[in-house]
Amino acid sequence: MKELSELIFVEGLRYTDDHEWVTASGDTVKVGITDYAQDQMGDIVFVEGPEVGDELKKGDEFGTIESVKAVSELYLPISGEIVAVNEDLDDAPEAVNEDPYKNWLVEIKPSDPSELEGLLTLEAYKELLKG
Amino acid sequence: METTKKTVLHDFHCQEGAHMALFGNYDMPLWYKTGAKAEHLVVIGTAGIFDTSHMAVITLKGSGARALLQHCLTKDMDSCIGMSKGPLVQGRCVYGLFLDADGFVIDDAIVYHLGDESFMVVVNAGMGGVIAKHLGEQCQDQSVEIVDRTDLVGKMDIQGPDSAKVLAKIVKDPQQLFTKMMYFSFKGGFAGCSGGTTVQLLDGTDVMVSRTGYTGEFGFELFCDVKHLCSLWNQLLEAGKDFSVIPCGLASRDSLRAGAVLPLSHQDIGGWPFANTPWGFAVPEKDGNGNYKKEFYGAKALAASNWQKHTLAFAGFDPRKIGAEEANYVTDVNGEKIGKILTCTTDMAIGRVDGEIKSIAGDKELKLKGLCCGFVLLDRNVKQGEVVFLSDGKRKIKVEIRADIRPLRTARSAMGTMVG
Repeated sequence: MKELSELIFVEGLRYTDDHEWVTASGDTVKVGITDYAQDQMGDIVFVEGPEVGDELKKGDEFGTIESVKAVSELYLPISGEIVAVNEDLDDAPEAVNEDPYKNWLVEIKPSDPSELEGLLTLEAYKELLKG
Repeated sequence: METTKKTVLHDFHCQEGAHMALFGNYDMPLWYKTGAKAEHLVVIGTAGIFDTSHMAVITLKGSGARALLQHCLTKDMDSCIGMSKGPLVQGRCVYGLFLDADGFVIDDAIVYHLGDESFMVVVNAGMGGVIAKHLGEQCQDQSVEIVDRTDLVGKMDIQGPDSAKVLAKIVKDPQQLFTKMMYFSFKGGFAGCSGGTTVQLLDGTDVMVSRTGYTGEFGFELFCDVKHLCSLWNQLLEAGKDFSVIPCGLASRDSLRAGAVLPLSHQDIGGWPFANTPWGFAVPEKDGNGNYKKEFYGAKALAASNWQKHTLAFAGFDPRKIGAEEANYVTDVNGEKIGKILTCTTDMAIGRVDGEIKSIAGDKELKLKGLCCGFVLLDRNVKQGEVVFLSDGKRKIKVEIRADIRPLRTARSAMGTMVG
């Protein structure tokens, strides 16, 4: 298990208390899980995502991520329409372990972009992990 | 509440950054930094080592020892070895169960025949005291000395096709050790558990080497005085470098044993009648009147019990699983609830190719994603090949009831083919 000092964080992303990260580019945002989340879960063996076109609200379950240990629900950090699902993970779910910040899960077109501002900053997320 | 226990390898696990969790009240590694998938696959490909010193050892000595075990163990010790069903003899060991008066499982065990009046019983973590007490209660006289050696015996396993080659590098006389080393036989001994033969490491340490394990793969369970365990562990890790040997945690142990259709005590077998399971080999056959051919403690209640439930092995069609939590359940194809999940894990070495389960053991180039597998306890029998669904109320996963899961397992491979 990684110590806090060993965990990788990326500047400029927003985070959630479900250990997801969110980043905006243009009028869409991408969502993934943090290094802490992948380390806690262990080897990821399956990622089950939503359908492109699904309209979901902040907090809705949008899929599951399965590790050797357990099945974890994924909750949408921001309301909107699913515009893309990372299909590379179908064949290589372990990519999330290898680089959780590069290997995003879903891309959303937010219905209320201001929700992004309500998410945790890097500093706030680190505080959360310190407990 | 009892305080959490640690094995003597606990410092190693922590230094290696293992994910730790409580198992049988011991703080044990789930997986190391390599991850459970790599640990599962190394046991299929070369070999991995496991800290199993949380398991408990009991010894029985005295004129009544054999009779006491024959009375308590489900297995018939007079008829259990090889195709010809010979008696348990010195140097051989046998798997069986200890049942209570109701025919429920107290624990499973491997019984080692050390000598004429001397036996070693290996049970699960935390069960040393329970089984020693049970045996003591069943002992009618003073003819058996029963000693619970919990935490006094060092135990680790090396499992995988290259296990003998790794072990050969650290023992004094590998040829002597591996000659006629059949599945479920052992050689050597250690303080308090002398087995009539000697196996020493190059450094002179006495060890017992048992050709058994809990992965379905070729390999050994190793016993020694607990004070030598860290040294043995480090020697095998060093000797195993040429074979990519890595330490493996409980997660891979669980996924390997599930794929090998082996039960976990207190999860797949436990406080209910031992009947209609994939592990019928653990009890004697029945005669024409429905009685077991050998009498054992709990047999009458078990034979009389009207247990209609069936424990069945299953494998899925992809790696997705539904946890064995109490709230989760099994349905038939019509959606009717028919039972519960006992074990559900992912065997990462297998996958479906044109519907058939294949293992990377047969073709290392195969790109397999793993299959969920485990055991269900159903209200009725379901035939092999039929499908049922595992559900947590929201998700639903189709799985197939099967007699076997991971193909091409190596546990019973001929010794001569494994020493290289």
